[in-house]
Amino acid sequence: MNRFLPAIVPSLLAAAIFAVCLGDPYFMEIFIHTALMGTISVAWNLMAGFTGLISLGHSLFFGIGAYVVAYGHIGFGLPPLVTWPLAVVLAAVMALAIGLLCFRYGLRGYFFAIATLAFSEVAFLLVSATPWLGRSDGMMMPSEDETLLYLQFLEKWPYGLMVLGFLAITLFVGQHLVSSRTGFYWRALRDNEGAAEALGVPAMRYKLIAFVVSAVLTSVGGAFFASTFAFVDPRSTLGVDLSIQLLVFSIIGGLGLLWGPLLGAALLIPLGELLRTAMGVGFNGVNIVVYAVLLMTLALLLPQGLGGWLKTRFPAMPRLGGKPIRQGDAVQ
Amino acid sequence: MTDTILEVTDLGKFFGGLRALSGVCFTVWRGEIFGIIGPNGAGKTTLFNCLSGALKPSTGRIGLDGRRIDGLHPHDICRLGLARTFQIVRPFQGMTVLGNVMVAAYGRHPATADAEHHAHEALRSIGMAHLAHLDAERLSVAEMRRLEIARAIATEPRLLLLDEMLAGLTATEAAALCDQIVALNGRGITIVMVEHSVPVISRMCARSIVLNFGTLLAEGTTQDVLRDPRVQEAYLGSAA
Ligand SMILES: Nc1ncnc2c1ncn2[C@@H]1O[C@H](COP(=O)(O)OP(=O)(O)OP(=O)(O)O)[C@@H](O)[C@H]1O
Ligand SMILES: [Mg+2]
Repeated sequence: MNRFLPAIVPSLLAAAIFAVCLGDPYFMEIFIHTALMGTISVAWNLMAGFTGLISLGHSLFFGIGAYVVAYGHIGFGLPPLVTWPLAVVLAAVMALAIGLLCFRYGLRGYFFAIATLAFSEVAFLLVSATPWLGRSDGMMMPSEDETLLYLQFLEKWPYGLMVLGFLAITLFVGQHLVSSRTGFYWRALRDNEGAAEALGVPAMRYKLIAFVVSAVLTSVGGAFFASTFAFVDPRSTLGVDLSIQLLVFSIIGGLGLLWGPLLGAALLIPLGELLRTAMGVGFNGVNIVVYAVLLMTLALLLPQGLGGWLKTRFPAMPRLGGKPIRQGDAVQ
Repeated sequence: MTDTILEVTDLGKFFGGLRALSGVCFTVWRGEIFGIIGPNGAGKTTLFNCLSGALKPSTGRIGLDGRRIDGLHPHDICRLGLARTFQIVRPFQGMTVLGNVMVAAYGRHPATADAEHHAHEALRSIGMAHLAHLDAERLSVAEMRRLEIARAIATEPRLLLLDEMLAGLTATEAAALCDQIVALNGRGITIVMVEHSVPVISRMCARSIVLNFGTLLAEGTTQDVLRDPRVQEAYLGSAA
């Protein structure tokens, strides 16, 4: 059996959905949003579901990606070819610094979650108060003549194609790591750090690897966001709502399953969109209540997430995507 | 002619005011099965934690094959050839039995196929090959103990520390495990075992130490150690 099956199958499914959405810009927009959020949830889950490190501050890395691309363009006229790699390097350095600090002092579980939240909130407040970053209003990126160089397309589908590539690359990178020594070390650290160290696992190094990989992928998501919407603001790229969404998609989709978070996003984002349009203007707020009730019901009915439930229903499904874990198990 | 593998000098570990270990000195010879006995709370597990690097000793030094290892990280000590099991088993619950052992095998075999091969070997040598694909959380107590050993030997140690592997097992299970420990020793792994059962220690270990309240009561051949009046009083007296 090909060990990349857990990456190939979801990528093909996503490609099929992309093809279906080609005919309708509105559907394409939902596809782009869903694939983007699903993909960075996959990145988040590499840390949370596989390594047991719950970050509530991942919007920091998304924001780094978005703001480096936006400010690089607005301030210096730099194209994505330059700013995307810059964003990735900055996110990696930031994750390394925060990781070193947190792991050096043995922060884990809820304490690690709160520490990461604090870092992202500081960034949120700083950016919201910085005039040359547009404060809380955000910044618009100007249109350029060289549209391809600046990834500025009139139509939506090229962005859909890009996010599809991002999704596939993330799944392949993720599957490669998860099914090799790195992934075994991650799960050992998640399940029992003391035992893992006694068996020769360098805990610090492998927790840092998880953090940096996850942060880098998330920053690519942020860079993609800025290039796609030509607009960034603190609320949508640095806010805690974003970090929480990654957690919700992962839990509903299946913590500890590589492709689980994609399912979560694919279920919840279109559902939220459907409720929003179905309820109409007059019922503003009702859709959120309905959404919340559905979310709670799902969480109660499927403690291992949608992906975990699928796996227990159909045990023949490829095992290598990981093993679903129950809510709460990830926090030691 | 004897050859030293482990040398412990003036080892101390203090938890605040509590002296869990103080002034402990002993030597383990290459190739032997060495026993550690002592009443509950004597400091046996604390000693293992210091040797394996899980705890930093407060005083003293630890030499493995003439190399000083106190203060090193646990994963470095493991790499140097010292492995340990946990008295309270610590399986990786989210993984299979094979996966558990592969984590240990990866240390010397970074490629997955190699690690898997060596993990299978380790499982076979402890009689667990048929359980390889079971989820670790479904094992019985006796099987979890053997998994602890399988993981430890998959790190390919020269020195193996076993912490109360026999507690809570039936007589048959215990006898089988003892045979396997002897077999491991036959393959050249030096073994240090903590055990409460005096008959087991006297049968398996030529030499032993006795700990009591964190200090060394006696060191020597197991026979002599058990005859020592202080040992009789402190340990056997209270246990009888
Ligand atoms: N991390 C710790 N912090 C504080 N005190 C500790 C710690 N670990 C052990 N102790 C104390 O040190 C003493 C020795 O404990 P240890 O677990 O080493 O005993 P033991 O000989 O292994 O006992 P047992 O036979 O019950 O396993 C005990 O009083 C224990 O409460
Ligand atoms: Mg003990």
